[in-house]
Amino acid sequence: MLSTTRSVASMALRAKPSTALLPFRATSVAFLSSTTPKPATPGLVVGNPGTPPPMKKARREVPLPSQEGKQGAVQYALTTLDQIANWARQSSLWPMTFGLACCAIEMMHLSTPRYDQDRLGIIFRASPRQSDVMIVAGTLTNKMAPALRQVYDQMPEPRWVISMGSCANGGGYYHYSYSVTRGCDRIVPVDIYVPGCPPTAEGLMYGIFQLQKKMRHTKITRMWYRK
Amino acid sequence: MSTVMRTLRNLRKVGLKDYWHQLQNIGDTKAGTFIGTDRYGNKFYENLGEELPLRTRWVDYKDHEYDPSQIEPGWHAWMSYMVDKPPPKDTIIGQVRAWEPTEHRPVLTWSRSGYKPYNTVKNKYSPWTPVAKPRQ
Repeated sequence: MLSTTRSVASMALRAKPSTALLPFRATSVAFLSSTTPKPATPGLVVGNPGTPPPMKKARREVPLPSQEGKQGAVQYALTTLDQIANWARQSSLWPMTFGLACCAIEMMHLSTPRYDQDRLGIIFRASPRQSDVMIVAGTLTNKMAPALRQVYDQMPEPRWVISMGSCANGGGYYHYSYSVTRGCDRIVPVDIYVPGCPPTAEGLMYGIFQLQKKMRHTKITRMWYRK
Repeated sequence: MSTVMRTLRNLRKVGLKDYWHQLQNIGDTKAGTFIGTDRYGNKFYENLGEELPLRTRWVDYKDHEYDPSQIEPGWHAWMSYMVDKPPPKDTIIGQVRAWEPTEHRPVLTWSRSGYKPYNTVKNKYSPWTPVAKPRQ
């Protein structure tokens, strides 16, 4: 979905919560069922923002990033610049270790000689001001959450977050505890979720590979040029 | 453990073209017997005699942007030393069972086909437009 339409839709929702959604729902359901659309919207509480707009819209063919092609010398040059920047980013990945529980043990296994993160250019930094990626390893409690956000805010751009283990992903085993944040994505934006309780060192390593894949396909200067 | 003599010895065995290809992908010069190709096109090699333990089997990926999930399950078992024989020679691991997916699919994260979460229930929090009182 386009970001412009989404913001427009959300603004429409905010302004008129009870009436804005009615034409949306009627049109989206109309092509699915042959029965007459019911005007009443059950479950819509007065004052609440209402249900989000339907995800499926009319099918729109979009060229793949590989099919877009490059026009002009500027785009070729910017693609090369992006490749250089992405290479530098993904081959010197300095994680800020936020070890909170048993996942941190597996994170330490990643740095030991068997998995040997140093060959990938990954060096654990204790300071958030010198790190690129934060690995949230373990149960994030409500008491720790402000500290996590503060450490994230101290990291320089560009920054990424890996949520490691089911506790950091969504609370996990302690989901119903009174003192546990149900997922660190409620506090910081997360790029990679590594499942497991705890994930193996291979699992975390694969998550790092996925993060490197994301970095590799980031269009830094190309998006700047497009604007 | 890579030494100059080992690199030169393997370079003599594999040739300049494969040497350059290996340097671009695995970053080492390795010589071994070609074991087989999986359905996607990844090539698998083995050298049980000269290589160090856990480095005796390796894969030459088809794509330049490779991913470990591009290896099929049977070949993954062979690569991880779970079985001795590769899938074409192993009668148990080579067969496709009825419940197995007929086509191997790699991890699609960060591609166009990647999983995108969405919500189907009512929002747990409601946004609001803050109204600022004008300065007096």
